[in-house]
Amino acid sequence: MPCTTHETMKENHIKIKVRSLDFWYQNRQILEHVSLDFTRHTITAIVGPSGTGKSTFLTTLNRLWENIPDAQMKGRVEIEFDGTFRDIYARSFSLTQLRRSVGMVFQTPNPLSMSIYKNVAFPLKLAGYKNRKEVGNKVEKALKQAYLWEEVKDRLHEKASCLSGGQQQRLCIARALILEPEVLLLDEPTSSLDQNAGRIIETLLLDLRERCTIIIVSHYLDQVGRIADTVMEFPLKS
Amino acid sequence: MNRQFEKTAEMVLFLPALLSVILTLAIFVFMLVFGLPLMKGGRFFELITGSWSPGHGMYGIQPMIMGTMAIASLSVFFAFPLSMGCASLISVLAPRGFSTFLRHTVRLMTGVPTVIYGFVGIFLLVPIIRELFQNGSGFCILSASLMLALLISPTMILVFMESFDRVPKSYLDAADALGGTPVQKLVYVIIPQARQGIWMGVILSMGRSLGDTLIALMLAGNAIATPGSVLDSVRTLTAHIALVIASDYESLEFKSVFACGLILYGFNALIIVMLRYVESKGTQ
Repeated sequence: MPCTTHETMKENHIKIKVRSLDFWYQNRQILEHVSLDFTRHTITAIVGPSGTGKSTFLTTLNRLWENIPDAQMKGRVEIEFDGTFRDIYARSFSLTQLRRSVGMVFQTPNPLSMSIYKNVAFPLKLAGYKNRKEVGNKVEKALKQAYLWEEVKDRLHEKASCLSGGQQQRLCIARALILEPEVLLLDEPTSSLDQNAGRIIETLLLDLRERCTIIIVSHYLDQVGRIADTVMEFPLKS
Repeated sequence: MNRQFEKTAEMVLFLPALLSVILTLAIFVFMLVFGLPLMKGGRFFELITGSWSPGHGMYGIQPMIMGTMAIASLSVFFAFPLSMGCASLISVLAPRGFSTFLRHTVRLMTGVPTVIYGFVGIFLLVPIIRELFQNGSGFCILSASLMLALLISPTMILVFMESFDRVPKSYLDAADALGGTPVQKLVYVIIPQARQGIWMGVILSMGRSLGDTLIALMLAGNAIATPGSVLDSVRTLTAHIALVIASDYESLEFKSVFACGLILYGFNALIIVMLRYVESKGTQ
């Protein structure tokens, strides 16, 4: 039965399943019955006019929306970890674990006011890593993955705020990568950067596809054309 | 016409500002002039380091300075952890309903008259201290500083809370998105970021407790002696002023009030300088 095989094949490649997701903010419905699948090791771009809930949708995948007062969500989000789909809103599912496996990069680079090194190592500190050598190795690896190592290796202990906007954003990507997340969410990561800095990040994302499933909200159609494997247009037509 | 109005407004606003500057300086000069008989011939040093024995012509206010410092610093010491905990709960850790409730309670506490605290101290705290330590009357540094801690902590909490709330949301998002627990977010992101505000809160409430009169007057016992332990009874500079003024107007003893005033003035100036310093560090 070729049809079933095809179905399982497809099922095998799915990383995230979203089912009948509704989202309200102060009684205004932002997302209505969203059901989507995201394929593993691909870049999915979410495009559409502002106010259609693109960023909100991203935050339903790492539960960051829960910090917003007066917000409400209904529906199911399942992410595949170690071969099984897990309901990330289940009580038994640890929020900390989720956020470590689903990294996020924001529209405006948000390094913390500490050194470059400490910024990248920060997630390890949160996760309780004590071994200095291991931390050092991981920091170097993450900075290399984020194409930043060569530019900062001689000044790791300078303040992160000394870096340019593009470098700061790559620093945030390095910080998100250091815990080796399986999913990476990016909310218009290049919109505050100039074209060159943006291009570097695009190349970087294409490279990262090998490691994680990437979902990116973008305003730039040319950017989407260059990097996206799949494009989803908000508002979704049901 | 409009220009005229601008000028008039400027004048009207300038006058009170000038007046308050003049008043502040006038108070200083006033105290200096009246305290002078005690300080003539380089006796100022003697005055602030000597002991108090009016019978022997000694009007040293050193015991009061020690008492003031002991009560003020101890009250800040007690109030600090209390305020940190409270501000952390309100700004970060507590669920919304409870946090709002706490916020309102703290605001309410700032409005409770000092004398109520003193009253409660006499009837509740002093007997407990007396029973607990079996040492003296219970009117002592410890009682006064515990109650004073309660009095200054609302100010401290409000300043802390404000500085916690000023931490940029992007920093909080970063900590949250990286899997930080609320406590980690507080310890690694919010508190380091709010350091300046924390200093401000501590310094402000230090000033408040240095200047407070009533609590020490009612709870510290007012004995004029250099304290040896927190269970000793002391008199603060402010309580000294209040007590002396209430009893006499002519003697040399009365003049010591002005010396106390000068010292308090000096403390206050120091607090202001420290505040300015912390502020300027923050804006760099």
